[in-house]
This record gives sequence, C-alpha cells and structure tokens, in this order.
Amino acid sequence: MSTTAPLRPAADTELSAEAAALATGPAEHPIHPAHTPTGQLSFGAFFQGVNSSTIWRLPQSGEQVAWESFEALVRTAERGKFAAFFLGEGLRLREHRGVPLEFDVAGRPDAQALLAALAAVTDQIGLVATQNTTYNDPVDLARRFQTLDLLSGGRAGWNVVTTDNAWTGENFRRGGYLDHEDRYVHAEAFVEVAQQFWRGEQIEHDGAHYSVRAQGDLPRSAQGSPVLFQAGASPAGQDFAARTADVIFSPHGTLEAAVDFRRSIVERTVAAGRDASSVKILPGAEVVLAPTEKEADEKIRWVRDLQVGPEQAIALLEQYWGRDLSDFDPEGPLPDVEPEVVESGVTRGAGFQFAKAQELTQQWREEAAEKGQSILEFARVKAGSRRGTFSGSYDAVADRLVEFARLGAIDGLNITPWLIPSGLDDIVDHLIPRLQERGVYPTDYAGSTLRENLGLPPV
Amino acid sequence: MTTTASHLGAHSADTPSADTLSAQEQRPGLPVLAVDLVSDPALLGSFAALAHDLERAGIGALTISDGGLHPIHVASYLAPLTDAIALLPRTDAVYVEPFHLATQLMSLDHISHGRAGWLLTAETDPTVAATVGRTTLGLEDTAREAADVLEASRLVWDSWAEDAVVRDTASGVYVDAARLQYADFEGESFAVRGPAITPRSPQGLLPVLIADADRAAVGGRVATELADGRVLDLDVSTGARPDAVVDTVERALAEDAGPAVRLVRLVGLDLEADPLGTVAELSAALRERGLLAAAPSAGQSLRDQLGLPVAARAADPARRSDRARLNSEDLA
Repeated sequence: MSTTAPLRPAADTELSAEAAALATGPAEHPIHPAHTPTGQLSFGAFFQGVNSSTIWRLPQSGEQVAWESFEALVRTAERGKFAAFFLGEGLRLREHRGVPLEFDVAGRPDAQALLAALAAVTDQIGLVATQNTTYNDPVDLARRFQTLDLLSGGRAGWNVVTTDNAWTGENFRRGGYLDHEDRYVHAEAFVEVAQQFWRGEQIEHDGAHYSVRAQGDLPRSAQGSPVLFQAGASPAGQDFAARTADVIFSPHGTLEAAVDFRRSIVERTVAAGRDASSVKILPGAEVVLAPTEKEADEKIRWVRDLQVGPEQAIALLEQYWGRDLSDFDPEGPLPDVEPEVVESGVTRGAGFQFAKAQELTQQWREEAAEKGQSILEFARVKAGSRRGTFSGSYDAVADRLVEFARLGAIDGLNITPWLIPSGLDDIVDHLIPRLQERGVYPTDYAGSTLRENLGLPPV
Repeated sequence: MTTTASHLGAHSADTPSADTLSAQEQRPGLPVLAVDLVSDPALLGSFAALAHDLERAGIGALTISDGGLHPIHVASYLAPLTDAIALLPRTDAVYVEPFHLATQLMSLDHISHGRAGWLLTAETDPTVAATVGRTTLGLEDTAREAADVLEASRLVWDSWAEDAVVRDTASGVYVDAARLQYADFEGESFAVRGPAITPRSPQGLLPVLIADADRAAVGGRVATELADGRVLDLDVSTGARPDAVVDTVERALAEDAGPAVRLVRLVGLDLEADPLGTVAELSAALRERGLLAAAPSAGQSLRDQLGLPVAARAADPARRSDRARLNSEDLA
C-alpha cells in the first residue's frame, strides 16, 4: 500500500556549491552510506498555541481557541496536501516571575479532543497530538489514541514528550515524581505499554513507577497504530527517537545543521537495528514568503516586530536574569546588572530550561554590544533564531527546499504559521505549486493513512 | 428567576456552582430526552448518521457510554457534525487524572459551542482500576473521590474569566493574569493547582448529571448535592410501551424528594436495527403529554436546554494568580 516511488527532482539541476560541499558520498547516498534520499518533501502544520511565534496583535489574528480557527487552518492544510496537522500541549499554564505569562498567546483546547472533532471534517490529513508520558497513564492514553486512529480511518499521530518538573506535576496525582535523567527510560516503557495495547495484547507491566494490568480490546486501525513523533534534540532524545520514533521534528535553521542532524540520526537509527529510512525528519520551521526577495526582507522584519513587542523582549531577558528588568529601556542596551539565578527555570516551557544564567547573559551582552543591538532588536533576533525560518521570495524558498530534499537532509517541514488561521495561505497558494513543479512535493495524497502519506513502512 | 435563594450548605464554600441553589431547590425546566449511544467500535461507520438522524428527530441529547472507544473522543467527533443536540459522555471520575478529565470536557464544550455535559460515573470494576495501577476503593472512598474530582473539575473550569483574553495592543497584554485564578484544590488523594490550560468554555460550568444506573456508586453527596440533577434511565432493550413510559416519567417528575430530573435517557436501544422508530414514538408520546422540553435549536447551550441559569464565575480573591497575590504574600 505504501507508495513512496521516489520521484526525483529534475536531474539537470545541479547542487549548489554549498550543498555539494556538504555531501560526503555519491548522489544516491550524499550524507551517509545507509541513507538514500527520497528527494521528496512532506509538510506538517504545527498549531502552537503558545510562544511568541503567533502574532496576536493584528486585526486578522483569529481566536486561538475557537473551533472556526482550527477548522479553517486544517482545511487550508488539506488543500495543500499537508501530511499532518500537529498540535502542541503544555500541562501547566506558562508563568513568568510567579504569575501567568501575559504577553504571548495562551490557552488551548485538549489536543486529542480537538483532533477527534477535526477527524469528522477532514478526509486525508494526519492528526498529531502532543501528549506527555510523565503525567498520563499509558493504557488510558493508548486507548484515546487508538480511538482517534479509528475515528479518523488511520490518521492519528502521537508526539511523545516527557516532563520531569515538579511545577507541572502540581496539576497531577503523582506530583513531581520523575528525575530528569529517568525521563526517557520512563517514556520508553510507557510507549511499549501503549504499543502492547494497540496490538491487542495482555499487559502485565511492573516498572519503577507503576504497575499496569490491562487487555488491549480495540480493533487495529487502517494504519496499524498511530505514527510516533519525537522532538529529539539532545543526545539522549536523539537515541530515544532513533529507537522508537517514526518522525523527528526538532528545528534546524541551516542546511549544514540539517545535514549534521540527519547523519547523527541515521547513525543512531542503524545502531538501534532499524532501517535508516524508517525515521523521517520534518524539522519545525517558520516560513515567511513574498513575491520578491526585497519584499520578503521587509516582511520578515514586520513579522518579527509584531511577534516580539517591548514587554516580551523584557520578559525574555527577565527569564534568564531571574530578576525584574522593567526599569530598563527596551530601546537601550542589554542590562548591565548581574543575573540573580544560577539556571533559568521551567515555567516558560521546554525551550527556556536550564540555561546557565551567568555565562549566557554575559555572552548575550557581548553579542548585542558587538552588533549594536537594543534589547528589543536582540530579543527579536533571538526569538526568531529558534524557529528554523525559511524566508524569501517564493522561488528562492522553493529552490532552497529542493536542495534540502535532494541532499536528503530532511523529509519535509513541520510548519508553524505565524498567523491563525490564515498563516498557511501563501504557502499553499504560492510555495507548494512551485515545489510541485520542481517535482519535490506530492500533487495528491499517496493514500488515506498518515503512515502512507509520510512514506513510512506499514506496521 | 427564583427569589427564594438559600445559601445553606448544599455546595461547599470552595466549590463554584451553577447558582446558589441546590439541585432540589432549583426550578427545573421540563426534562430533555436523551438517547444513549454505546461507543462500540462496531458502530464506527454509523455514529455520524445516527447523531444526525436523532438531531433531526428533535432529540435533545446524546449520552455516550463506554463501549471501548473513548466516550469523550466520540462526543468530540460528533460535535462538528451536529449543531443542536447536546453531547454528554458518560465517564468515570475515580480512576482518572482530574486535570486531564476537566480539560477534555471543557474542550468538548468549546468544540460543540456549549452543548457539552458530563454524565459522571464512579467506576467500581477492579480491572479498570488495574489499568492505571490502582486498586479499587471501598464504597465510601469511591464516593468521596468522585466528589473531589467533580469539585476540582469545576474549579478548573472556573479558573479563567470569560474576558481573560484581552488582546490589549497598547500594553502588550494578551491574557490578563488578574482575570485568571488558581484552582488550588486539595483533595484526599490528589491536588490540582491550575489555572486551566484552556480558556473558559462557552457554558463555563458544564452541566453534571447522574444517571440512575450510577447513583449508588457515586454516592449521595455527588448525586443529590453536587450534581446539577438526575438522569431518569429507561431501559427499552426489550421494547417500550409509550403509555408505560409516560407513566414512569410522570411519576418521576411528581416526586418531591431527590434531585430534579434533567434528562430522560433511553438506554439499550438497538440503534442499528431500529434507528428511530422507538425513539420517535416515545418522544411523540412524552411531548404530547407536555413532559419534555422543546426540541433544541441550533446553537442552544445544554444549560439553556435544561433550564439552568448561565454559570457566573465565582471569582475568589484567595485564588488570585496575578502580581497582587505575590505582593500580599510579601506583606504576610
């Protein structure tokens, strides 16, 4: 059923000097002897619901929690033959200096409940929910995912995440029970129990943190079981993903970083006894497009200005300084005071955790001074740098993605729209047709299941 | 509005409630007719058509009982396919993570534009407890746990003001922390800090109802004090005579004691063999005798169908989550 007949981009397009320099092998295996590029890209749409990536200040900024926003966005994505619609999750409302963070979008519905509803109004797009292994019960979660997979005809995916902090645990029965170093061990056992349930097996699990007795009692879905996604950026996370995941989506801004990451994942996947092509890489990305390069340059500045306002810039620094910086002028240089914390905390989400404050703030001050950046300018660049941004004219971004595809650096992108719900419109109307012309993007869905549409082998 | 408001302790002072009257004291509207749908995977291909047909027949509510597929997901799936019929998953309040359950239910309310309710049950089956690594609680503890989970859920639902998302471009504030509050629930076996990770749902507080079948397990406090009312169960698996059904409903509505009957629920229907015949016949007989609320209109909330007042938020200074709380802690 899985039809991933590699449709190579036109052979007469040469790799750029940059891409050619990164290849270490022949065209069939440019990155690693065990990896053959498919030359194809799949897109996911990542509705964040938190972070400064989503612009809320514009008249066209839609409601973050309204059903209509999700429905409109998923319909656009399906029109663009996106393989997946992807929802994040955080199990405690983000806080900043002891109170709920006020400056970024916040508040989202339960990912799986929402996707079950979207299953009713879509036919082919995959439906991926971020769900936490630390604060769920594996059989309950597995049953919900299998329900979603059955309701959608085999389109469910699970982004497996872990949390270890006690702060999030304050919303849950177990509290902060898990040590940081144990989180992947625990997650792996959790995924194993879920897979047993999906296979309809009897479960007798006795682990370090709990015991489970259950019987899988639901039919298999059209794709066998939900597709497993993982962010997998740290070495331990990469190993976990190489052993268990079907898709990895941690962001990479440059082609070089993407090539290095692919090589690392291929090595770890092969070491784990799996086929190198059994793990797809769809990095998280932001795409800012315009008809010309000049307009795109103006647009990315406009987007960054709207994403990060003065309050967010100060709050970003406060997160690392661990003290009130509201007296500092956002238009002025970075604060000359010392941080009051040793490490940044957990209350702003995973991207902010455990930075060494002393070193980082010193480094930032030097960096900003060297570039002559104000607090606001610095914060905008910093926030943007996390996002793996592809910005440029329609043609330039299409050409660049062709290089990523031909080198086999990535299998696609998991795109965060910076506007809800219209943020995918120009991608679907202008970028995707160009990728299709260049032969690197599907003109229709390969099948009816998420597994098929990502080119993954059947279970 | 009823003017004989009594503030006597039907609800604990900690728990936001639909209003200040207990279930008995509220002046209910007429009950809403509900049909029970079992979440059996064998019915996967039929859910949409069944919900659609029942809605067109003017049935007020669907309850979704656990037949394998998760009832909240099945209800969510049906939400965009319908626009008037209420959706009430029948799910356990004991062997669950209360914060997740509260979030899922309020999300169903968002997705359905205010048509969600909760048929709260208290599981007593040891095999269910074993799936989450727990052992079955005794009767008393089961009831206490169900009450705790219900109270915690309401505090989570009530933790965002309706207007918490302010989108104030001048001050750069998207959500106003002063319009959020912690749940700060401390139960016997768990605590929930809050606030919700989901903004306030259209109904604010979802109607929580107790089916006759679940009354013993959930215990008297939940069934008569905390819940918003009773679900009169009519088992029609072996057929149903309209006159007998009318009699039963009439008698239940005439009872002085006990919680108000909010739903009349038909259970045991073979919806594949007899999709609408029995339902339509019973619905017509009850309606003719003036025993049922009017068929719901598109966009009508479940609270409105049930004659429950709009759930005003119980703002509690002790739970405030803004900087003023920190300042008062500094002083203390």
